[in-house]
Amino acid sequence: MNIAIRSLLEVQETTLLLARSARRLLGRPIYFNEMIAQADVIGVGSLTIIILTGFFTGGVLTLQTYPTLKYYGAQDQTGYLVALSLVRELGPVLTALMCTGRVGSAIAAELGSMVVSQQIDAMRALGTDPVRKLVTPRLIALVVTLPLLTVIADIIGILGGGAVSTGLYGMPMGTFFSSVRHGITTDDIIGGVLKPVVFALIIGSVSCNKGLSTEGGTVGVGRSTTSAVVTSSILVIVADFFLAKMLQVILDMPS
Amino acid sequence: MASTDLEAPNTTADAQPTSEIDNRVSDAAAESTFQEMEDVTRAVPAIEFQNVTLGFGDRTVLDNLSFKVLRGETKIILGGSGTGKSTTIKLVLGLLKPDEGRVFVNGEDITDYDEYEMMRVRKNIGMIFQEGALFDSLSVYENVAYRLHEQGVSEDEVEQEVRRMLRFVNLEDAIDKMPAELSGGMRRRVGIARALVGGPQIVMFDEPTAGLDPPTARTICELAIKLRDLEDVSSMFVTHEMNNVDYLTGEYAAVNDEGEVIFEEEGQKLCLINTKIMMIRNGQIIFSGTDEQLKKQDDPYIKRFLRGK
Repeated sequence: MNIAIRSLLEVQETTLLLARSARRLLGRPIYFNEMIAQADVIGVGSLTIIILTGFFTGGVLTLQTYPTLKYYGAQDQTGYLVALSLVRELGPVLTALMCTGRVGSAIAAELGSMVVSQQIDAMRALGTDPVRKLVTPRLIALVVTLPLLTVIADIIGILGGGAVSTGLYGMPMGTFFSSVRHGITTDDIIGGVLKPVVFALIIGSVSCNKGLSTEGGTVGVGRSTTSAVVTSSILVIVADFFLAKMLQVILDMPS
Repeated sequence: MASTDLEAPNTTADAQPTSEIDNRVSDAAAESTFQEMEDVTRAVPAIEFQNVTLGFGDRTVLDNLSFKVLRGETKIILGGSGTGKSTTIKLVLGLLKPDEGRVFVNGEDITDYDEYEMMRVRKNIGMIFQEGALFDSLSVYENVAYRLHEQGVSEDEVEQEVRRMLRFVNLEDAIDKMPAELSGGMRRRVGIARALVGGPQIVMFDEPTAGLDPPTARTICELAIKLRDLEDVSSMFVTHEMNNVDYLTGEYAAVNDEGEVIFEEEGQKLCLINTKIMMIRNGQIIFSGTDEQLKKQDDPYIKRFLRGK
């Protein structure tokens, strides 16, 4: 089987898994406790890395843009630039990539080892649907927590940018934050929150599918974990491009 | 009780899951002195394979396999590694679907059932996996209680049932442990307890003694004998170890006057007929019958399998 057919088959499988797990929301039982537990692992568990990533991304953005803007005498606009880049692009994408590394790999590894140790078969033998019990709660948890994590990353990033511009460049705090307020529109925020929802579906469905289709023992678990992270990361970045264009059209932003 | 079970499959041995033959059996059953024989449902095999073929890619794993497991009967499936023994069990549970042929469970054709319908069928089947397949993230208690928790049974009843099952496998002390803290044999026994919750009438054993020390392996065989003789459970017992076969075909469980379960050897006078052996090689049945018949086989492969040389 050549690589094109294999990729198409995987797209098909992943989409089918996504559809199946969405259908499981209609029937009973719905595993609320499992969803909460996963939201805790995925959301609260990722908080530290998201805060760190957000803060230093905001900081480095200021570090790089302030001198250039100063050259044009527009250093007052630093907050505008930092906030816009963060809310529109860096916040959603970096949060998604960090979660792919932390959550996507964990999902693929956990489900993969459950497959190779026959726990998935045991679950089915005991009358539980693994998609309902394992995939749906993880997807819901991701869809709920990823936008929240993104918002947190945005806010912390802006704070980081503010800290660098006041601490390093002696810019008054008020100037920075007023340019932030000036710069961001509601459309930017809507776009910045919609993107992570799509990213969450990508990370969740790809990682679950890779995990559940694990073959070949422990080596296979390693393989599906790696490929879950690689595939999700690439898809997130590709999807980001198309989403950005789509949002420009839908929200009638200047393009 | 054990004696009635031992007699049960004999009269129903050739029964088919069709109404015409059901009548014939019930006539025969009417003559029987055993009350259980009047139950026509006993004439329907617990498991039946009709010309089942299954392949993975280019490799044929099962080739036109047909056999029956009767009520209360234990079918030992012998064969080397990779001969399709575990695959056979997975077909019964609907974890795999055959390429051709039909699979019946309690007379019900499950071949084309979807996952939702299979869930109902699986409620009556217990499955014991090779390595136990316990859920790592759950404690022993939660593992055994899994099926009951899924059904929304009240916690009091769950605890009672879990303790009863853990006592059955002699592991009540391990109730709060996590699977990682258990030895291989204990994991296997917890797996058995988990499979038996809810009193399934059909139990599948997938190499339950592989890699265990002889006394632990013996304990697991005793559990299988107890299920067969005292609980009237039909089962498929996949193994490649001959001492398992000797235990299962040579001993039976009974309850003595003190109410204790004892194991007795069949000896010269008695012949256990509720345990049959089926040997698979390259996806085909090369032998089907009792242990006595197996030992008389001239086939060089079977001889080598029995003696290991």
